[in-house]
Amino acid sequence: MPTPWPRSNSQPKVLPPRPLRLLGGAVIAMAVALLVVLVLWSIASAAYGQPETAAPLPDVAHLLRMSAIQAALSTVLSLLVGTALAWSLNRLRFAGRNLVIALFASAIVTPGLIVAFGLLTVWGRSGWINAIANVLFHTSIDTPIFGLGGILAAHVILDAAFAARILLARLDAIPSTRLKTGQGLALTPAKRFATIDWPALRGTMPGLAAIIFLLAFTSFPIVLLLGGGPANQTLEVAIYSAVRLDFNLHGAVILALAQIGFCSIIILAASAFAPIPSTLGPSAGQRWADRGFAKAVQWTVLLACIIGFALPLLAVLAGGFSSNLPALFARPSFPSALATSLAIGTLSALLTLVLALGLGSARAATLRPLARIGLAAPAYAYLAVPAVVLALGFFLLVRTMGIEPATAGPAVVILGNALLSLPFAIATLGPPLEAVASGQGKLIRSLGLSGWQQFVRVEWPLLGREIGVVLALAFCFSLGDLGVISFFGTQDFSTLPLLLVRALGAYRTDDAAIVAAVMLVITVAAFTALPQFFARWSDAQA
Amino acid sequence: MLRLEGIRFAYAPEALPYRFDMVAQPGEISAVMGASGAGKSTLLDLIAGFLLPQAGSMTLDGVDLLPLQPEDRPVSLLFQSNTLFEHLSAENNVALGLPRPTRRKDAGPLIAAALAEVGLAGIGKQRAATLSGGQKQRVALARTLLRNKPVLLLDEPFSALDDETRVAARDLVRNLTRAHDWTTILVSHHTEDVQALATCRYRIAAGVLLPEGNTAA
Ligand SMILES: Nc1ncnc2c1ncn2[C@@H]1O[C@H](COP(=O)(O)OP(=O)(O)O)[C@@H](O)[C@H]1O
Ligand SMILES: [Mg+2]
Repeated sequence: MPTPWPRSNSQPKVLPPRPLRLLGGAVIAMAVALLVVLVLWSIASAAYGQPETAAPLPDVAHLLRMSAIQAALSTVLSLLVGTALAWSLNRLRFAGRNLVIALFASAIVTPGLIVAFGLLTVWGRSGWINAIANVLFHTSIDTPIFGLGGILAAHVILDAAFAARILLARLDAIPSTRLKTGQGLALTPAKRFATIDWPALRGTMPGLAAIIFLLAFTSFPIVLLLGGGPANQTLEVAIYSAVRLDFNLHGAVILALAQIGFCSIIILAASAFAPIPSTLGPSAGQRWADRGFAKAVQWTVLLACIIGFALPLLAVLAGGFSSNLPALFARPSFPSALATSLAIGTLSALLTLVLALGLGSARAATLRPLARIGLAAPAYAYLAVPAVVLALGFFLLVRTMGIEPATAGPAVVILGNALLSLPFAIATLGPPLEAVASGQGKLIRSLGLSGWQQFVRVEWPLLGREIGVVLALAFCFSLGDLGVISFFGTQDFSTLPLLLVRALGAYRTDDAAIVAAVMLVITVAAFTALPQFFARWSDAQA
Repeated sequence: MLRLEGIRFAYAPEALPYRFDMVAQPGEISAVMGASGAGKSTLLDLIAGFLLPQAGSMTLDGVDLLPLQPEDRPVSLLFQSNTLFEHLSAENNVALGLPRPTRRKDAGPLIAAALAEVGLAGIGKQRAATLSGGQKQRVALARTLLRNKPVLLLDEPFSALDDETRVAARDLVRNLTRAHDWTTILVSHHTEDVQALATCRYRIAAGVLLPEGNTAA
């Protein structure tokens, strides 16, 4: 009698069964999904409701067109500059190369608010350039930093550095045999780029372009500071002004729906492309250096990029530390905003880590396609809900539930920022957790390790750095957040970014400079210290 | 006594199934030979529970093994490579074999004793990644000692070792098997290993596991 074929038996049972992890992940995924549904429902139901004021509907088509043009230009420029920079960094070897690469890598956490403020310090009406022009030529130049030019400059500074770091990793990964072949053929620098480098970069470009486009399209603080009026708004800024300045909630809701719809389309398109790695090891560089003209071009590109990236940041530091720090500390608003920012950053980073570990480890514990999608999709949904839209959704939700926004403020800011960081956290922790399950699952299972032992002995020692990276990303993201706090901030509940914007609005530039400098120092410290600290700490227990 | 009777297994419905029948005695080493790709690792995966047969029975001293999950089977498994967690120290690797619960203060002496028994006293703090191939296999054997499961499955354990280390590792496996009365199954395509160790020999050919002329060692 033939035995019926038991389908599942031929699949090796190499994944240890982890019912608790699956349960925890499912609970988190459902909670995260429920929140996004509630946020969308709040916005959608508000859109169907009666307009509270007779304010005119915003010109959505115009905003979409302008945002799309700005984002497209930002993307093209960032990819061009990023490619040139990666190409230069890949070829050049010099003392301090690792430091320079780390500088550009920090672009991912540098708050847009800080870059915008740094550009103002250099190029603004009372900025460095104008001061020099005044001294030298007794004239002030028409400042180019407001409007599209300023927005593009700030976006390219951040996104080209980000792109360069990703692309550099692709170039570093070119197999040495291919380089030797090219070297043997004595390829010219141009031919070398076309035949060896470009094929290695090409696959990453669409995904990278989609991410940069999304970042530029949903840009909020940069456009708020540098936009210089309604002509160059993004939807995010338009939503913010509709709610906070025009009290036109209905208009804001319409804009939010447009924003969600457009972002969803971009994300769906992006998901078809190769994913972008979120943690990268040190860059090895290549032994085959270009010579002559190409080398001169590479040095020029590198120096220009270092100056372009570092100058606004140095301006922030210089401006901040030449101002009167004790005087600002004496005013209660600054120490309390500092404490609030640190507390919110820490709590929201911890929350992000817990959510990401819960989702990622559950996902790594199952091979079922539907379960795997169900565990990842809710977190990625937040890519389609940028900060201001999320804040608007929570704002409406809290109001519907009859809670004062001021009461809900701290909890919403922590939760909102954790949710916004979650896609990045999962992209960072997911792959190494999967690698443990697929690479060591059989050994773990044959030893009958418990889930706790698996975490303490295998995952924690191997993932210390990634855990530090997630904490650093989430901490810096929420430290720099302006979108969520601008809906929930009050006189008593304020963070550093909100303080900075208020100081700028009140023409207290010196105060703003100190706040910006403090934010930058904290960001850089967290971004450099946390991954290293956690890598060492976890490794010490191996 | 480990007994496989009429075990049938195929990776895909259309494939001809493997047919495995064997008997292995405690305190003895049974060798399974066969060309690369013959199905030797498949056999061990079936015994360890990573694969489930489509038919047949598998018992240890009369107890049915097939309903047991891999982590519940009375089996220790040594892979050819990837048998240790490379990022952990030798002693933390060995510690993973401790029965649970073991009190913290008891763990240290047990681990040290196990490392000493495989001739590696004093290397406990070293990272697994920094150990030689022979040392790694010994650390894995020390872990097996603490687990103290009645069946030991060895999947080409010596193939990465040089000749001298290999002789020492062979002696160790033989002595441990005898001292702890393990039922050891050694998979190898190295005839010398088999001649030196096996009391009982099998060969997989064309998907069928058959006994070869048995010798008394
Ligand atoms: N998971 C799997 N799915 C399908 N075929 C497999 C799988 N694992 C192994 N095989 C095939 O089964 C055969 C036996 O493999 P294996 O038991 O690893 O051989 P050996 O250990 O004797 O070299 C090989 O042809 C191999 O390709
Ligand atoms: Mg094999």
